[in-house]
Amino acid sequence: MTIHKVYRIRDPIHDLIEFGAPATADQHQLEHVLWKVINTRPFQRLRRVKQLGFSELVFPGATHTRFAHSIGVFHTARKLTAAIERSVGGVGYNPHKCRVAMAAAMVHDLGHGMFSHAFEGVMRSLGRTDTKHERVSQRMIRETDIAELLNQITPSFAEEVAALVAIKPPRDFYDAIVASQFDADRLDYMQRDRMMTGVGSGAADVEWLLRNLEVENVPIASDDDAGGSVQTLVLGPKAYHVAESYVLALFHLYPIVYFHKATRGAEKVFEALILRVFQLVREDHAGKTGLPGNHPLITFAAAMENLDRILDLDDTTFWGALPMLAEAEDPEVRRFAMQLRDRNLLRCIDIGSMAAEELPPERREDSGSRRARLDRIDKACDRVIERKAELPDALFDTYKRNPYERFQKADTVFNQIHIKQPGGVRDMAQLSAVVASAEPFRICRAYVRRDDMHTENVLRNIVRTSVGSATD
Amino acid sequence: MPSLEPHLVAARLVREAGGVLIGRTRLQKVACLAKLAGLLDTFEFEYRHYGPFSEGLATAMDTAAGLKFVEEQETQAVWGGWYSTYRATDRTPPAEDAQRFQFVTEAAKIGAIQLELAATAAFLHVKEGLDGPEAWAETARRKPEKAQDNRLEAAKVAYRQLRCLSTPTPLPAI
Repeated sequence: MTIHKVYRIRDPIHDLIEFGAPATADQHQLEHVLWKVINTRPFQRLRRVKQLGFSELVFPGATHTRFAHSIGVFHTARKLTAAIERSVGGVGYNPHKCRVAMAAAMVHDLGHGMFSHAFEGVMRSLGRTDTKHERVSQRMIRETDIAELLNQITPSFAEEVAALVAIKPPRDFYDAIVASQFDADRLDYMQRDRMMTGVGSGAADVEWLLRNLEVENVPIASDDDAGGSVQTLVLGPKAYHVAESYVLALFHLYPIVYFHKATRGAEKVFEALILRVFQLVREDHAGKTGLPGNHPLITFAAAMENLDRILDLDDTTFWGALPMLAEAEDPEVRRFAMQLRDRNLLRCIDIGSMAAEELPPERREDSGSRRARLDRIDKACDRVIERKAELPDALFDTYKRNPYERFQKADTVFNQIHIKQPGGVRDMAQLSAVVASAEPFRICRAYVRRDDMHTENVLRNIVRTSVGSATD
Repeated sequence: MPSLEPHLVAARLVREAGGVLIGRTRLQKVACLAKLAGLLDTFEFEYRHYGPFSEGLATAMDTAAGLKFVEEQETQAVWGGWYSTYRATDRTPPAEDAQRFQFVTEAAKIGAIQLELAATAAFLHVKEGLDGPEAWAETARRKPEKAQDNRLEAAKVAYRQLRCLSTPTPLPAI
């Protein structure tokens, strides 16, 4: 079968993305199959799941979808495979693994629920680990029309793609296209999220990185003990400074965009609202939610493992339900729904800052003392969270992220960013003092109603006693 | 009596290793095996590429080095990468437990790769319920390059020798 039709998508980040442009027969077939995958129900649903969930409440431009992102990830994965082919070439190059990686890159986000990570938080609170988005993506690949389409490439293609979307850790540098600190997902979202939110920081020269990508042998060792080598992705020496910017740019998006206090506050209200709706359904009081019995949220609550019910849920399902939820008989549902509807969000109390006020730095603090002080602040925050039951009217949010997973802490050598140097290949954190010394980003916050001064006062007392016990 | 702060526990491991402990991997695996032997209760471990790893221990040792409870020196290895050497200072807490002192001293003498393989197998046995042969086989599967050249067999021998030491909890029989 010869198909010459080329499908084109215009993208704000990558400009023209083509499916089916002249290439090898296998690549041509893959891209035509992926075009059909785009036109399936699970993939079209991604048009209705925003990439950044509630971030648009803070960054009005951030209305881009997981649909656009997923196509961008495919395009980036295709560039990564081209770089691998340039570097490895000939018999060392495995085109089949590259095709699996490109397909996995495109469908990796299929399983995201409405408001993505916020919904995952809801399911985690319910103890439902089977609804993690990677697991749901796997089900959509295996159990919907997508399987049949992908298996047109080879009989087990869908299964290979399904395995790769949840791979942890990556097994080789082909897997690293989909799952590493330099994967197609990150390379797309860091550009897209920056552009759509409008934030000025967080830029990185991705094209330069891709141009300098190679496959090289990297020693496998523990401390002073060498134990063979493996091939993995490395960046050429001219990409060193750009790679450093890449790591920091990606990292800065977390405090500036993803963990913005108002966005996270909205997510916490959303989680509380959905948990309350599900609780009412479970207790046979669905009528008190304000939603009709056949509303997708109600039918999902009764059959959370049903893939059709999962597919019914997207951001628009929720926004459409909001006027009804705001009229609910249940006061909690009503209150949370109105808060989101009117963007009347909760007040954020930064517990970490409160603890830091209690533990001010000495006048000339050296790095060791600083580290010890930050450890104590962390410990104090942990103790506050342990006592959160004393503050029933507050919602809590904690998170910690390292700018770069250092070699020692990494899941695998394939997850690292390696830089080629005259003396051999070096890990990014070994080479860059900036990356090596960048401190983790931590949040420990409580959200309370704007007029709730009582909870803030109790919280401040708990912080004081926690700081005291953390420094004993 | 209040328990020792994590960075002091980490520093004390260096003292117990004989005053010098070479490598972050060795530090992690010695601590993990000490924990499995009932000699340490401060840190929690999870599985990473280098086998069992404790973020808490890594942070604690960085703090200990920053506060000069130990001295850390980075050296370039023959294979091209870098490794840390921790040395006790006069601020390093003393070794108080004879059993732990002996265990840590002996464990720290084992080659880093053998130690990593042994700690991984023991950890997989405890955390993932793999029996002895399965734990070693899974270790070899996850670390094919390191398990080559008779290193897995050497790890088994080293582990068996550690098991002979007197500890509050016997190391898993794998």
